[in-house]
Amino acid sequence: MMKTQGDKSFSARRVGAVAAVAFAIVATMLPSAFAAGEVLGKACKLAGVSTGTLSTSLTCKADSKGKLTWQKVRLGQSFGTPIAEITPPKGSIEFWHYRPEDKAYFTKIISDYEAKYPGTKIVQVVKTTTDYNATARVQILANNEAALFASARGSIFNDFVKSGLTADLTNERFVKRNLVAKGISAGVIGGKVLGVPYHYLFNNPVYNTELWAKEKWTIPTNLTGWVSWCKDAKAKGYVPLAWPGATRGQAAQISNSALMNSAASYDALSDNLADLNSGKIDLTSTWFKGVADIYVKLRNAGCFPENPTGVTEAAAYNLFATGKSPILPIGTFAMGSIKALNPALTGKMQLMSMVLTDGKVVAEGIMNNTFNLSVNAKSTPGDQRIAKSFLSYLATGAVGAYYANSTTQHVNVLDVDYSANVDLLNTSSFQAKNTMLAPRFLLLNTSVSDLTQDALIQIVGGKSPDDVLPDFSKQIKQKLAG
Amino acid sequence: MGSPALVLFLAFYLYPALQNLQFATRRWDGISEPENVGFRNFTNLLTNDDLFYKTLGNNIEFTFLVVIFQTALALLFAVYLVKNTKTTIALRTLYFFPTILSSVSVGMIWLFLYDPNFGALNLFFKSVGLPSFALNWLGSETSALYAIAFTQVWFHTGQMMVVYIAGLQQIPKELYEAAEVDGASRWKQFTKITWPMAMPTTLVVMAYTTVQSFRAFDLIMVMTNSTAGPNNATSIFSTLVFFTLFNELRLGYAAAQTIFMVLTLVLITWLQRRAFGKRYEK
Repeated sequence: MMKTQGDKSFSARRVGAVAAVAFAIVATMLPSAFAAGEVLGKACKLAGVSTGTLSTSLTCKADSKGKLTWQKVRLGQSFGTPIAEITPPKGSIEFWHYRPEDKAYFTKIISDYEAKYPGTKIVQVVKTTTDYNATARVQILANNEAALFASARGSIFNDFVKSGLTADLTNERFVKRNLVAKGISAGVIGGKVLGVPYHYLFNNPVYNTELWAKEKWTIPTNLTGWVSWCKDAKAKGYVPLAWPGATRGQAAQISNSALMNSAASYDALSDNLADLNSGKIDLTSTWFKGVADIYVKLRNAGCFPENPTGVTEAAAYNLFATGKSPILPIGTFAMGSIKALNPALTGKMQLMSMVLTDGKVVAEGIMNNTFNLSVNAKSTPGDQRIAKSFLSYLATGAVGAYYANSTTQHVNVLDVDYSANVDLLNTSSFQAKNTMLAPRFLLLNTSVSDLTQDALIQIVGGKSPDDVLPDFSKQIKQKLAG
Repeated sequence: MGSPALVLFLAFYLYPALQNLQFATRRWDGISEPENVGFRNFTNLLTNDDLFYKTLGNNIEFTFLVVIFQTALALLFAVYLVKNTKTTIALRTLYFFPTILSSVSVGMIWLFLYDPNFGALNLFFKSVGLPSFALNWLGSETSALYAIAFTQVWFHTGQMMVVYIAGLQQIPKELYEAAEVDGASRWKQFTKITWPMAMPTTLVVMAYTTVQSFRAFDLIMVMTNSTAGPNNATSIFSTLVFFTLFNELRLGYAAAQTIFMVLTLVLITWLQRRAFGKRYEK
């Protein structure tokens, strides 16, 4: 067991020193994950930052003297090590989710689980996202067999909660010990863990490391830097940002970056978004005009593609995969599709911070936890026990690693080894950044959220905020009045 | 004899319709207890919902464009392909082909064709020296509705052409022979024989095309990536109801919208019959 920094014994100091040196050597060998000088006991700058989700990961934290140093601190809710899954009773349940692309991987996981626990059966019910979001809640309400189900963070999850379908998982040991505590909040309502967010995403721009090295670019650190970089990239014949303005959901990812440093703190930003959501303020507020102004500056600097509002997700992926654009401003979850389009980009993608302010930096990047897995509160106790067992199985390091590496998706599970997928490994270094939970999902009213994003898309399309913001504010007001 | 049909009608048409009327007087998210709000959904729609009026305008414009162009093109193709020869049969098959495709496939094909930066349409205009015709077809408020209307016409003209051909083949040949003997030109034959004789078919085609235009939901959803286009430029009643129901979970409000949708459809069909039907009856 690692000794603490304050230990005075000689052997303890020696062990600590050896461990620190060994860690430093290992850190220099990794591609980028620990390349920023995060060494046990060394000084660090930003409290709360961590180097990853392994038991050996370090966190920047104030020591007993109040000095910020890298410390080995558990990332789970408790100090206990991750535990094995709960043993299930015999029986059969349905597992409902909205990721057809994961069906094969879940089939393998379920097959292994069923082999381990003969007599227990998990049946996958998979629908497309649109179909799922539209119909699953009503169907699950009438189907107690659906003991485990997924929902997207935000309004969809909230609707499941409002329907009384989500059992309280707060006191489950695997929730406290196997999951990254920071990543659970997306599944917490009223202080209770009602869903386990399984995905740990980064909704930050992905960049082509080869192109960046070729052009000798450095990542801009503020809005002025981004404006200059866009002008330079455009002058060199690139489409600076492969931004899919025709696909609202993906176009909206960049709004997270625009929002994250738009207020003095995360709490202030949350308050602003809550006020926007309730109609207390509208898009013509000084704060939101500032957000819109970021878009105007980026637009005027030529950051976006030609005819941006007509660029589909497929077209944006194409721009990035073919090297016409050095940045895909979407997130880690797009990397799998990019590799399918151009396998040569494997290992050549990296995440970047998109700091769009010249003022105070509240956060360097965006994280999001979604694919909330909930246990059906209306299922029988036996079925709930099976659901919890399978959920705890998914929350073990080995299973999480298989899922993550197969789907090119970081997961919200401790002790997951990403080394089998070079892109996940490279981008896992972002877990060391000061990231913010994707703020755009704080707009829980779908209409408000959609209209806010549509307003920003219209601005990128060339319209003036002076025209767009009052118009969309009126539309939001009408929706909220209904 | 008629009683089973009556039961089916009552169970599957009248009862849901009456229930929809009842829903329209409720405020209900499908989860919590419904609240009776009387006619507030209707008054809100009429007095405080710009999107409703925009949708109404879009729907009427879309229907007008599709009915006019689809009917005219279907009739034109039918007139030229009415005779049964190898060439005409081959061409009929070709024109009918889009009809057998799924609307999602059609939407995807045209989504790619309309792509402003990579699409074949804009590449064509640029290659022939007409770059000003290369528009942001689906990304612009001014062109999105027309672009989708064009696709709808392309999609269904072949189907309506077949209906017309069936109708035109019923017109006695003797009428054309007599007209030719009298020295009537092709245009004269069309206006004096084909058009009046094809009027019953035209009424069917127009009524069907009108209903079809109101149901262009899937095409719009695919071509606008499950939105209603830029700033709701392609919002029609069917998409409006869908988003109100499934995105906003406002079941009562959506029910009120469907009532206006049906009323608009009935009104348009009635106007069509009034404009063309009387002439036919004479």
